[in-house]
Amino acid sequence: MANKEMKLEESFDKLNHIMEELEKSDITLEDSFTLYQEGMKLLKSCNDSIDKVEKELIILSENGESNEL
Amino acid sequence: MGQAYSVTEINQYIKNLFMKDRILSLIYIKGEVSNCKYHTSGHIYFTLKDAQGQLACVMFAGQRKGLTFRLEEGQSVIALGNINVYERDGKYQLYANEIVLDGQGALYERFERLKRNLEEEGLFDSTHKKPIPSFPKKVGIVTASTGAAIQDIINISKRRNPYIQLVLYPALVQGAGSAESVAKGITALDKLGLDTIIIGRGGGSIEDLWAFNEEIVARAIYNCHTPIISAVGHETDITIADFVSDLRAPTPSAAAELAVNDYSAFQSVIRDYRRKLSREMQQKLNFSQNRVKELKLRLFYASPSYQIKQKRQYLMDTEQKLQQRMNQKLREKRHRLELYIAKLEGLSPLSKLSKGYALIVGEDNKPVQSILGIAKNELLTVSLLDGDIITRVEELCEKQRGC
Repeated sequence: MANKEMKLEESFDKLNHIMEELEKSDITLEDSFTLYQEGMKLLKSCNDSIDKVEKELIILSENGESNEL
Repeated sequence: MGQAYSVTEINQYIKNLFMKDRILSLIYIKGEVSNCKYHTSGHIYFTLKDAQGQLACVMFAGQRKGLTFRLEEGQSVIALGNINVYERDGKYQLYANEIVLDGQGALYERFERLKRNLEEEGLFDSTHKKPIPSFPKKVGIVTASTGAAIQDIINISKRRNPYIQLVLYPALVQGAGSAESVAKGITALDKLGLDTIIIGRGGGSIEDLWAFNEEIVARAIYNCHTPIISAVGHETDITIADFVSDLRAPTPSAAAELAVNDYSAFQSVIRDYRRKLSREMQQKLNFSQNRVKELKLRLFYASPSYQIKQKRQYLMDTEQKLQQRMNQKLREKRHRLELYIAKLEGLSPLSKLSKGYALIVGEDNKPVQSILGIAKNELLTVSLLDGDIITRVEELCEKQRGC
């Protein structure tokens, strides 16, 4: 689970990096397109990484088995 | 006899000895209360004694929050404070900051001992602490299924991120078996692959919170692979669990704030990224488009067809200029011609004919300018303005006329 989370923060780091690259003036248009597409993909994955379903509380039994309500 | 000191000097000297001593600067003293006097100033004077001895004690009014019950004769208590010299009486006494009943005192001792042992063992090491995930999806909770703590955690978590999955291990959080229950809960939740685990309970007495001061809980926290936030009681309650856990929250509500990220903040971060990304790309595109335009223009100017067009244009312009010059010249010449014509008209022989002069033409039809070449009886034509006279030469007489 922890690496999933790291992914999101890594995505943010990567997005920041992409922005920096895009801000450079000597970058080619092709490269900017590649970066742009990569950035958009990252954004989408960031969004997708949150499962947008409101969730109920899961209450476990004494033995730690899930016992969904 | 050596040098004699005054009483004040020696009291001062002894006081300094006390003050330099680290043990005496903060010490727990166990004993039975006697001679207890609540002074009107708010200070409490009492004596602690045991079978062999006694110790004068004072608790100043400013320290009274360290005493939660009424001090009475015969109570077994533990007092925390420093021992120092009261120079006026030449006596040493305990200046108490905190006094607890001995039963609780035993708990404090246990707490201190366990804290010391675990600290030495490295259970509190900051190197062992795991970072709390910033964007969790599943958060476990070990607390009582009833009570304010779980409600607070649920409310705050859902408000911050409605998509968070909360998993509750309903634990006994006070009384017999509570430590084991909490420890079991931690172990059970650790197996579920959660992002973070909150352990805790609402406020209560030190005995109520005691489960979180037990070694079994401390070890369960230490051995847990999932980051743990502890939230036991109120801000002022500090438990062993707080020292071992990866993060301490002052209250269960605060734990939820720390564990669950704010979804709207996350969304706005994503929005910002999207906006920035698009803006950067658009700028890049605009820049490139402008560059293409510029190059196109340059290419257009450099192209042969443009060059040809340009030359053709020049040619046309030149031709036009030429034409203009030519016309100009023509006009000038014509004008001059007209002038000549007018002048010539003035010089025309015909105009002279009207003045009594005549043009004489010989038989060869050439104007006669001299008598030389003219023979007698030759026919001459004398032209006047209104006609010719044909005449025959009668005589030739030469004359010298100067001219």
